[in-house]
Amino acid sequence: MIAAIRALEMPIRAEVALPRRVAARLSIGASRGPKAKVDWADLIGRVASDGDREAFKRLFEHFAPRIKGLMLRAGCSPDEAEEIAQNTMIAVWRKAHQFDPATAGAPAWIFTIARNLRIDFFRRRSRAERLQTSSELPDEADQAEAADILISRGQDAARIASAIAQLSAEQSMVVRLSFIEERPHPEIASALGIPLGTVKSRIRLAMNRLRDILDEDA
Amino acid sequence: MTISHHPPEDLLADFAAGKLEEAHQLVVGVHVAGCARCARFVQTIEHLAGAALEDVEPVPIAPDAFDRVMSAIHESPPETAAPPAASTTDHDLPPALRRYRIGKRRRVAPGLSLRPIELSGSGQARAFLLRSAPGSRMLEHTHTGTELTLVLEGSFSHEGGRFGPGDFDYGDDEIDHRPVVGDEGPCVCLVAMTGDLRMNGFLGRLIGPFVRL
Repeated sequence: MIAAIRALEMPIRAEVALPRRVAARLSIGASRGPKAKVDWADLIGRVASDGDREAFKRLFEHFAPRIKGLMLRAGCSPDEAEEIAQNTMIAVWRKAHQFDPATAGAPAWIFTIARNLRIDFFRRRSRAERLQTSSELPDEADQAEAADILISRGQDAARIASAIAQLSAEQSMVVRLSFIEERPHPEIASALGIPLGTVKSRIRLAMNRLRDILDEDA
Repeated sequence: MTISHHPPEDLLADFAAGKLEEAHQLVVGVHVAGCARCARFVQTIEHLAGAALEDVEPVPIAPDAFDRVMSAIHESPPETAAPPAASTTDHDLPPALRRYRIGKRRRVAPGLSLRPIELSGSGQARAFLLRSAPGSRMLEHTHTGTELTLVLEGSFSHEGGRFGPGDFDYGDDEIDHRPVVGDEGPCVCLVAMTGDLRMNGFLGRLIGPFVRL
């Protein structure tokens, strides 16, 4: 039994010292996997220019279940994750004309929409909870939209892409696991095969490295 | 505007991931909107988030979700993107702030006044605009929680250096400081604060009860 587990572990460890699942995800993460790459930006463009339902359906089938998956990872309930996924896709249709492929990658753009909806969702919920105990009127506009201005700074796209390329696989994974997927440190430690005590310093190192790379190119 | 003090990277990453509470998101967001360097950092995290979205384990969506989304799209016309009615008429404030309702100015101490910013109430921290008279010396204080400060106008200095427009200052309970406001004019800061300020020293204890920030 133990021998069998060892045998299973060997090739995994030998490769990149990362568990297979993480290693596989890393290679997909670079979006240069063997899988034919779908041009999401083109599909968004077709939604914007022609209201192309078929293009939208492909976007929906690919992204909606992933948004739901990411929202669940980030601590939403299944109902909340479902609602945010659906609302994100509605916003993708409506904002398709705002998408500029030269500035933002499609997945990053869709992420920011989902993120802002999640922020609004939680604020609205807490406002509603508050209203039950007070007589205030709910009249505030959603605020998270302000974050949209960020992604529209386009001139930096190439620099950002090159910075991401310069990060080591472990560094970009540590950033993703801790900040985006919000995994607890013990999980990050086991995913990366590093001691729990070094997770914090790896996160810090990755952050500093990213800042340095971006500053170097400036 | 030369910005020399920036938010720590983990705060920027949390901002990009949408994890900050409202008051902190506001202060970091206003800094990032005016700081190309931090905007690039945030965008880079957003790109990594996009890659994470591509790789995450897909979770089956409700069977009727696509039809519901399509009918929602066709039912209500696309929003005419009318900007939310400006809640404040202060046109000298950064755009991100104009969406908020900002309360009346009230004096908290000689030469020091604040205007509370109305938040949804989802977080622990409060946000306010703090205005201090030129040349004033703030009382030596410590924080019981964290304090995020962004200079909008004027400047202040303390042991950590000089902070001018666009500069970001991070204070927590380990920092004991005594800022001095620059002489060039009043200093207006956007502040997010958890916990309370503790005034140190005799004078602080004396006026402490009145400094309800």
